[in-house]
Amino acid sequence: MQEELINLRNEAIAQISGSKDSGELEELRAAYLGRNGKFTLLVKKIKDVPADQRKTFGITLNESKVAIENLISDKKQALLKSLSEKRDWFDLTMPGFKPSLGHLHPLTQVLSEVNKIFNYLGYQVADGPEIETDYYNFEALNIPKDHPSRDTQMTFYVDTKGTGLKPLETILRTQTSAMQGRVMKLGKPPFRVLVPGRNFRYEQVDASHGFEFWQVEGFVVDENIHLTDLFGTIKYVLGELFGKEVKTRFATTNFPFVEPGVDTYLECTICKGKGCSFCKGTGWSEIMPAGMIHPNVLKMAGIDTKKWNGFAFAIGLSRIVNLRYQIKDLRTLTTPDMRILSQF
Amino acid sequence: MLIPISWLKEYVEIKLPLKDLMWKMTEAGLTCETAKKVGGEVIMDVEVTANRPDWMSILGVAREVAAIQGLKVKEPKIGNMPSQTANFPIDLMPDYRLFERWTGIVIKGISIAPSPEWLKERIVSMGHTPINNVIDITNYVMYELGIPMHAFDYDEIYGQVMNLQLSAGGEKFTSVDGIEYTLPKDAMIIKDAERLIDLAGIKGGLNSGIKETTKNIFLHVTIDNPVFVRRTSLAMGLRSDASAVYERGPDKGGTLKSLTRAVNLILDLAGGEVASKLIDLKEKDYEPTKMMLGFDKLEKILGIKIPDSDTVRILSSLNLSPKAVKTGVRCVIPTYRGDLKIEEDLTEEVARLYGYNRFPATMPEGRVSDEKIPYFFDDTLILTIKSLLVSCGYSEAKNLSLISKDLIEKFGLNPAKHFRIENPVSTEYEYMRTTLIPGLVAAVKINSADNLKLFEVDKVYLKSAKGADERYRVAGIYTAGSFRDFKTAIDLFSSRLNIDGYSVEFETDKPYLHASNAGSIKAAGSVIGEFGEVDPMVLGSLEIRGKVYCFEFDLDSLAGLSKFKTFSAIPINPAQVEDLTLTFPPKTKIGEVLKLITGASKLIADAELKDTYEDSYTFRIWYQDPEKTLTNEETGKLRKIVLEAVRSKFGGIPKD
Repeated sequence: MQEELINLRNEAIAQISGSKDSGELEELRAAYLGRNGKFTLLVKKIKDVPADQRKTFGITLNESKVAIENLISDKKQALLKSLSEKRDWFDLTMPGFKPSLGHLHPLTQVLSEVNKIFNYLGYQVADGPEIETDYYNFEALNIPKDHPSRDTQMTFYVDTKGTGLKPLETILRTQTSAMQGRVMKLGKPPFRVLVPGRNFRYEQVDASHGFEFWQVEGFVVDENIHLTDLFGTIKYVLGELFGKEVKTRFATTNFPFVEPGVDTYLECTICKGKGCSFCKGTGWSEIMPAGMIHPNVLKMAGIDTKKWNGFAFAIGLSRIVNLRYQIKDLRTLTTPDMRILSQF
Repeated sequence: MLIPISWLKEYVEIKLPLKDLMWKMTEAGLTCETAKKVGGEVIMDVEVTANRPDWMSILGVAREVAAIQGLKVKEPKIGNMPSQTANFPIDLMPDYRLFERWTGIVIKGISIAPSPEWLKERIVSMGHTPINNVIDITNYVMYELGIPMHAFDYDEIYGQVMNLQLSAGGEKFTSVDGIEYTLPKDAMIIKDAERLIDLAGIKGGLNSGIKETTKNIFLHVTIDNPVFVRRTSLAMGLRSDASAVYERGPDKGGTLKSLTRAVNLILDLAGGEVASKLIDLKEKDYEPTKMMLGFDKLEKILGIKIPDSDTVRILSSLNLSPKAVKTGVRCVIPTYRGDLKIEEDLTEEVARLYGYNRFPATMPEGRVSDEKIPYFFDDTLILTIKSLLVSCGYSEAKNLSLISKDLIEKFGLNPAKHFRIENPVSTEYEYMRTTLIPGLVAAVKINSADNLKLFEVDKVYLKSAKGADERYRVAGIYTAGSFRDFKTAIDLFSSRLNIDGYSVEFETDKPYLHASNAGSIKAAGSVIGEFGEVDPMVLGSLEIRGKVYCFEFDLDSLAGLSKFKTFSAIPINPAQVEDLTLTFPPKTKIGEVLKLITGASKLIADAELKDTYEDSYTFRIWYQDPEKTLTNEETGKLRKIVLEAVRSKFGGIPKD
């Protein structure tokens, strides 16, 4: 028996020393020390050993088991160390496989950012009709028929034959501001509303004009809203979109639905204010018309102007996308060409 | 509006460097982005907003430039109206709905001649060609003071009568520059005893115009109804300096001053004498009005307290004669500031000259409403769908909503079911789309890639009983070849959005889809979308080669059917997995087979189609009992159930 044990130990040591990897080592551990391992079986046979040799046998068996256990763990460490210290040529520049992933449109990406910024400020998103009435698009915004400011928003008229819609009163909306009247008329203040969407204006198409473009209208109505809140909101939003260091400046303007009226200029992100073809040499880009909501607009929507007032603004989403990605031709956004789309 | 600097300097000193002045003007609302050097003159180009007729004049701009710099404006020397020396009759028939004020006078014995150099230069600097002394003076005074005026040849006013009226439509009219027009209805016109002699507010007539031989003139300054001027000018596509001023509603209180200025200049440069009484027809007197600006209101709107003394100084610089009282400032609004109607308008005056860029930035206080707003829009589903499609390799396109009749017809659709635009920019963009598919299919042409995957999520515009039904859709096209790869995205809609009872119908009413290789998707009893191969005839008409698969789903339907998922705990016991290969007769619906296998027993946790080869299909099946590990015997029983069901329903038999 003692001899058998010694042979077994030698065999185990030889196999362990000669093993090539940790998997083989684990198999050897199971073969010798596992539940049905050779040493384990020997333990069961201890009763067959003559009584006078039993003690010596027992000691040798235990020593062997410990020695083999240690050998396995030393060998394991040695194998890991040799792997760890291995220095073969390995090409880290080998490209990965190309994923079959598509691309989100830049308008979607920027709009998601805009929505997130405003959600954080407590604005809710509204979505409204693009086939709109003259009333909500103009009159409810204090722009009566024949008002000269309609010149800047030349309008598409919808052929209403056979539709039940009113001729001449049914148009494609020229501004997302059309939703001010709709939301205010049906809802109750206070409001913090954001309306992203597509608008239509009769324009001949060129690099900087399109007859379809995207805007995000926003407005707030509450009991104590100030012009400084409008300035603060615009600065915050543009800072989030273009970085806190971006420069903005405000100018007076006139839209019939605001008083006082505000225009926002953003330092051209392309030339950093030096003047380039993108900003027509001015160094500034007109980006966000705004103002305090005109009392007539609130009154027409049934809001008590003694209690409530507010501000409104419109973000030229197409323009922000263009500034963000330095796109010079507006038509780029509506051209479904993979050479364009795969860049985003 | 062009502003020659040397002319501006006649009324106001310019202390700021030009670039700074231009920005200050822009900040104050008189947008001035460019200034050009023309000859020895620098000419600013200002954009005048619709509310400021007074800025349509050099003097008006000078007033603003003075206010910005805290200076006083030097008014031009108008002089007094010279006295009358003769009595040439003239009979004006007013209509106050058309001309709110009509101020005029006759001058006799003038000599028409070229203008002196200084006057010619002024006219040239405004971008016009000098004509003669009288016409140049009328233009000069309009540019200077901001109200259009017109000179008639007195001897060409037949019967010495001027009848102001609206056109009936269809009248022929030849303007001073010799162009013949056919008038629309409701243009304001002046007729003498026999002829149409003036298209009021827009252009004078050739017949009554100033000629080299003209000796006597009738000169008038009128305040024309802005609505009629605007409608006529839009209808005729005819804009003039005068119509641009009238649309904004010029100073009703200023006609007399303008007339006096022009008469004095004419007597000076063309000779002659005043030969009639001064005529000044008006329904009422136009006087400055009073308005109060409360300090509280000012602070409430602006958000800061502007020192009362600053408020008074600013209002004074704008000639609003402010008088501070306890609660605010009493102002007197000159007649040329018709834009100042309510207190809010005065707050803007204070804010803009105080300087918008001096204001601090604050954030709104107040409540965030816990109620959903009307028209509330939740874009969660759209974003989920977009990210699903992007992960399937589809890229997002944005197409125009306006399409051509040609494209509609190529897709076999009926243009009459589409909303049409009355005044399209071109026939390319005349109709509103009712499906997103045509735009996406057309994109195949501009892409060279033969494995194109594009999608779009946007609105379509349907005619409905209530007028217009605008619905969001998601659509995609696929040219990469394999139907199963194309089908992946469609299957994801049901599995990831968790839509129950999702079935494929072998029918579709979409004329642009292939007769057999396309169908629709039904859920909860109604069709929610279509998918399949685009009809080769449609592709041929667009000169697109190869196969194009497409799909389109209605988003509201998807949103209504999409349910929250219920989590299933990870089973403690392992599943038994096996592959079964079966053969089927032709035209077997493998999708239905798979549904049958999955539903054959509660103990079948999942099944999928692993492989296909000719008529044989390999299904991988997961047998699983949540309570225990299934024995081989139990799995065998389940296999039997599956095989029996597939055989009896579809005639599928195991392949050995």
